[in-house]
Amino acid sequence: METRHSGNSMEGLIFPRELLYRGAEADVYKGVWSGRDAVFKVRKRLSYRLPQLDNVIRGRRTMREAQMLHRAKSAGVASPHLFFVDTVNHSLVMEFVPGMRLKEVLSVASEVPPSILFEELGRGVARLHAAGLVHGDLTTANVITDARRLVLVDFGLANLTSKLEDRAVDLRLLKETVTGAHPDMSVIAFDSFMDGYGQVLGKVESLTALKQLRRIERRGRYANVE
Amino acid sequence: MKRFVIGIESTAHTFSSSIVASDGEILSNSKEVYKPPAGSGIHPFEASQSHRDSAARVVAQSLEEAGVAGTELSAVSYAMGPGLGPCLRVGALVARTLAAKYSIPLVPVNHAVGHIELGCLLTGTVDPLVLLVSGGHSLIVVYAAKRWRILGETLDLTLGQLLDQFGRHAGLASPCGAKVEVAASKSRNYQELPYTVKGNDVSFSGLLTSAKRMLDGRVPFEDVCFSLQETAFAMMVEVTERALAFTQKREVMVVGGVSANRRLSSMITEMSGRHGSEFSSVPLSYSGDCGAQIAWTGMLADSAGVKVPVESAGVRQSWRLDTAEIPWRD
Repeated sequence: METRHSGNSMEGLIFPRELLYRGAEADVYKGVWSGRDAVFKVRKRLSYRLPQLDNVIRGRRTMREAQMLHRAKSAGVASPHLFFVDTVNHSLVMEFVPGMRLKEVLSVASEVPPSILFEELGRGVARLHAAGLVHGDLTTANVITDARRLVLVDFGLANLTSKLEDRAVDLRLLKETVTGAHPDMSVIAFDSFMDGYGQVLGKVESLTALKQLRRIERRGRYANVE
Repeated sequence: MKRFVIGIESTAHTFSSSIVASDGEILSNSKEVYKPPAGSGIHPFEASQSHRDSAARVVAQSLEEAGVAGTELSAVSYAMGPGLGPCLRVGALVARTLAAKYSIPLVPVNHAVGHIELGCLLTGTVDPLVLLVSGGHSLIVVYAAKRWRILGETLDLTLGQLLDQFGRHAGLASPCGAKVEVAASKSRNYQELPYTVKGNDVSFSGLLTSAKRMLDGRVPFEDVCFSLQETAFAMMVEVTERALAFTQKREVMVVGGVSANRRLSSMITEMSGRHGSEFSSVPLSYSGDCGAQIAWTGMLADSAGVKVPVESAGVRQSWRLDTAEIPWRD
């Protein structure tokens, strides 16, 4: 079904509601936009959050995501094309990226070994960092892949920053995710990621980031300080 | 035949002793709590002195209430860490003494694992996404491959510390969580405070500073409590929701002292419902630190053969949850 729009809102328009994914802060639907396959990312009102607070956060993150998607592309990082920003309903319409989330690819026997995928992801994140951007929510659920390419999605927590600490937070979340969700391959996955990361940013930058990551880990509660 | 294990908890302000049976029945859960003066926190040495005074009385009471003789115990478990050194050492001393006296195995338990395992026992939860919120921890964890894995946590203060330090700044006596909750329930006036989510982690230190300043700036206490709770809990629930969307666990369980907060519970209940996951919370009387969490985890660990020789049974002030082996789970 075709969707039309007017002004800055999709309010009242009918679009196909095939729920693709229920995320933490947004529901993602598949549909059609100007004749192209599209996803509708709707940042729903979260009833557990105070409405004043909820509105501010949803608005801020939707705008942030729209801006950062463009920045990511300028940095040479594959990310979905943005079709429309709905500032009333805090929603985005974006290109539909075929493929599977990296998280799911890792749970089935894939033709591409995980080390190759993580190395490629490392290169992508390094390009992002080199361009003065951090992703802010770097988990294996926010990477879509088919046999040919890796696409980074969900830039709602992304930020313009070149601070070492912020870069290291990206690395830390990825490490946390692979140890938590893919413990059997966590070491090889993270090492491959850092290999790719170093190929783009250089050995020195990559070691500095890794050191900062260790510093963050040592700051963790009840980490070994004895 | 039923087996009985005694568990000794002394990581912070609570000295507690509990007897559990191998079928999961908690036969006793005696405790005495050290109370610091208004406006100050736990002084580790003074807390340990208080534990020394309580120890014999509490242990005797737990045996008597359970109707179990010392000679009927099949193992002694104690909270080896993490926690305050002087306090932990009192519990370790008591446990070593009991193990030597009755010649039974001595089983070290990680305090945080204790909160989780007791929660699973009491709520009947099997494979949950766990939110552990207390004075010592604010963590989101799931079980995988012999460890509880951390998916998100606080980068600085815990939720318990946040509420406590704010309450003390306002002149309340610690623990302040319940008092802040009561005050918050009297306001609907939200004042914006810093909301800091970094990926799956949260940071509360900036929030604490701002809340203290707001109070010093003569914003009514109730309004600051309300705004502080709404902001801090929304942050914590948001990262929990991220972890839930990621893991797609069917059960969400909240444990630890702050789980007693009704506003936090209702927020997590709503959030879990949105994802079709079942929410459970550890019963109020077991949410705070207690011997039962150590005794039950000790029971599980003892069945898996975990033990430590009496001569080398020390304490670990820093013992991160995700470094504790869990041999009793598949």
